[in-house]
This record gives sequence, structure tokens and C-alpha cells, in this order.
Amino acid sequence: MQTANKGKLVSLAEAAALVRDGDRVALGGNVLHRAPMAFVRELARQGKKGLKLVKTAGAHDIDLLCAAGCVAEVDAGFVSYETEFGLAAHYRKAVEAGAVKANEHACYTVIGALRAAATGAPFMPVVGLKTGDLIKENDYFTIIPDPFGGVHVPVVKAIVPDVAVIHVQEADAAGNAVIHGPKYEDVLMSRAAKSVIVTAERIVSAQAFRQRPEQVDIPGFLVAAVVHAPRGAAPCACDRAYEADTRALERFKKLDADQIGDYLAEYEKSDRSAKTFGGWNR
Amino acid sequence: MSVNPQTIADTMVCAMARLLQDGERVFHGVASHMPMVAMALAKRLHAPNLVQLNIPGGVNPPSIAKANVSSAGGDLLAGAESYFPLMDIFDLSMRGGLDVAFLGGVQFDVHGNVNASVIGDYRKPKVRMPGGAGSAVLIPTAKKAIIWRTKHDRRTFVEQVDFVTTRGNVWKIVTPLCVFEYRQGRLWLDSVHPHSFLDEVRENTGFELQYDEIRTTPAPTARELAALRQVDPRNWRLKEVGR
Repeated sequence: MQTANKGKLVSLAEAAALVRDGDRVALGGNVLHRAPMAFVRELARQGKKGLKLVKTAGAHDIDLLCAAGCVAEVDAGFVSYETEFGLAAHYRKAVEAGAVKANEHACYTVIGALRAAATGAPFMPVVGLKTGDLIKENDYFTIIPDPFGGVHVPVVKAIVPDVAVIHVQEADAAGNAVIHGPKYEDVLMSRAAKSVIVTAERIVSAQAFRQRPEQVDIPGFLVAAVVHAPRGAAPCACDRAYEADTRALERFKKLDADQIGDYLAEYEKSDRSAKTFGGWNR
Repeated sequence: MSVNPQTIADTMVCAMARLLQDGERVFHGVASHMPMVAMALAKRLHAPNLVQLNIPGGVNPPSIAKANVSSAGGDLLAGAESYFPLMDIFDLSMRGGLDVAFLGGVQFDVHGNVNASVIGDYRKPKVRMPGGAGSAVLIPTAKKAIIWRTKHDRRTFVEQVDFVTTRGNVWKIVTPLCVFEYRQGRLWLDSVHPHSFLDEVRENTGFELQYDEIRTTPAPTARELAALRQVDPRNWRLKEVGR
């Protein structure tokens, strides 16, 4: 039986089991910041297949899932580490080998596609996408007449994620979640997706947000599962909690695909060790 | 090239900073340490009312000194004037309200096309590149797009790009050797950096150079270098050249 204060709290393994092979998964955060890495590692450990990833700008999250063979498609505007870590080599290799389909967006067209999903519309105008080969090569972009007689309008097709996975600093057991620092596209993602999984540095009491409900970025009623995941963004950064672990990222960058299993195993114990409040843990 | 990387970094950043005018709204993105420094430098020197915009949404961050591994982190929001994140910046540019966008890319051609996507076929690429990030909507809509690239060779500056990620309001391209300007439908050699020379630019450019006169990019002044040490004390501007 689920106790009252356990709410939607589940273990990392149980939450990752909610993601099915072939699901369209939106990942929160931006490049090296607040990526839901503990959850991503668990998806890889569970051997998910055929995932369709969605993010404006991704790095270690997309690269790791490509290395682990979990990915069928990536819809993103930018997939690369920051300056000193160079390109996302596993993503690049997977695309060049034809194993992963790269659906290149402008970051803003991912935002437009998610806005369409959030509003229940089939597509969204993105007036800046005026020219170039991205429009020609991708069937999710087209240019339509303005029904009101103005100039033609570029549009992007809606992207409806099956699940958005968002790592936050604070959540309660009901799934109410607060992001500290930059929110990137995460609030929009939570509205666009059919379901939301929150992983959180801290689980706070159900009363905590009653003092400041306007600061809750993701309301619990949109959330399917909450995971207590301290250092859940590492080795990426989590604002006001920890910096990016540059040594761990450098080490990962040197791994071959056949070493990824060992890498995931190293994190397994710490990823699954979280103790949630109220003495409940797995 | 045996030129000191610090000289290249300082020259490029100063050249980029001088392109910014007081009061302009200017955006830099991810993996953009040089534009981040250039914007802070311009604000310190000749553009005190510059509006610095970035992905995490920190309007006019008080410092860039903590932006170590990233130019898109929460440190740029800490202590900023207000919160105006990426989504809002894109919307601003769509409605004509963004003056300058700093953007990268991997391959550029004489016609002003930018490729940040692929070498070879889009669906079966020989090389998959990171993607243009916001370029495909910002280069056509920002009033001026300034491109910087720390590599200048015949594979980077070509007659025709493999793939047109975007084109549009490209204004200047700043490289380790020179500055190009886009006007009248093509790239023109605008100025050659003082540590380089015309033949070096010519040897490393895959299209025929066109220019009105041979100008030299002014070397960083003592005042600029002093301000650089203040706004960028940990020398983040060297990161991109150091690779």
C-alpha cells in the first residue's frame, strides 16, 4: 500500500521502467546544465531501445544514450559539449553510421514544436526560418500561406513527448517541483509532454510549497513519478548545488562504446542509493 | 601558425567588441566564450548601455569570471538585472527587436551561406556536426549577425558550402587571420589582423579574395588589454584558440 506521504515517490529503477521502448523522451536542462543524468544512466542500464530524444541543446545525455544504443532519433538544435570538451563523438558516430536519425532543428523550432504540443495545436509558426536546406530536407518544416493574406509563414510540426524527464533542485512527494536558477525550456516541456517524471536533489515536505505556490514551476498534477536523486545531474552541473565534474566528463569522452557498460555500472550504486524523506527508501 | 594564441584571442575579441554599439541588444549562445568576453569588454569600454543577453537568461551579468566550462550556465544569471531567457530572446529577434547575434558555424562560403550541419548528404552524412543551434532563425532575423570561427583554412572558407544551414543578415566574420564583411551578395576581405598578412589569408581561403583596399585590423590597445584583464581575469577567451 502506498502511504500518504510517499505519494508519487518511486525508485529510480521504477521511474525509468515507465519509459517504454520507442518513446519520445524530452530531456530537461541545457548542454552541461541540469541534465537528468541519473535517469539517463538508468535508461541505459535498462537497455531501452528506439528512444526518440527531444532537446534544444544537448550534450552528455544524448551522447551517452547514443553510446549505449538506446536511440533511434534526436530532435535538437545543437548536440555537442562546450568548447573544451569538443564534439559529442558517440552521437556523431551513430548518426554517421545511420543508426540514429538526426532531425536538426534551430533551437527555436524545438521550442515552437513544444509550444504547439502544449497548446494542442498541430504546428506553430516560426517566422525566422526563412531560408536554407533545413526546410527542404526535413518534413517537419514547411511554409504555408498566411490565411489572413500576409506573407507566407514557416511552420514547425508539433512534437508531443511521451514523457519529459526534468531534474530539479526541490520537489515534494506529489510531484510539485521548483527549479532554481535558469529554467531553460523545462517548464514548457512539462506542459508539452503527455507525462512528466521529476528527479530532485531534495524531497521537501508537502507543506513547503504552500508558503510559495507561485514559485512552483511544475505542478504535481502533471507529474507521474518523483525520484529522489541527489547529484542526479552529475557529472553535469546543477545550479546552486554543484559544478560540472570536468574530470568525469573528460574521462567519459575517452571511452569507446564497449566501455560504456562499465561506466554505467560505476554510477549504479550512487544513482540508486537515495534515501527519501520519511524513512522510505529503496 | 606560430603566432602566440593569446595574441590571436586578444585581437579577435577586441575586433568583435568594436563592432558593438552603445545601447544595442546583443546575444551570445552556448560554447561562446569569445563573444561573451567581447560583449563584457564593449560594455566596459565604449558601450555602457549594451544589453547583454544569454541562454540562461541573465540580463547584463555583473561578471563573467565564473563562466568557466560553459557560457550557458547559471553563473550568468546570478546577480543579473533581470531574467530574460532563451525563449524570450528568440521571440524578441522574431519581432525585430534583437540588434546583434553572435553565432558560430563550421563552413562558410563566399555567398554568405553558413553550414553548421553536415559534410556530405544530410541523411547519410560523412561528418555530422553539432547543428546550428539558434542560427537558422537568428541569422535571418537579428539586425546584424556576427560570426566568429577560430579556424581559418580552405575547408572552412569555401566557394560553396556542403549544406546551407542558414543565410541572411551575416554582417562580419571574425577569424584568427582577418575580418570578412558580407555585402552586395558576397564576402569581402575587410581587414587583415596585424599578426597575419594578405598572402596568408589568401593561402588559407578557398575562394578568391575580394577587397577595396588592404586594411589592417587595429591591434588591441593598452586600454583594451587593461580592460580585458578586468572583465576576463581568468582568460576564458583563450579556451577556443587553445584547442
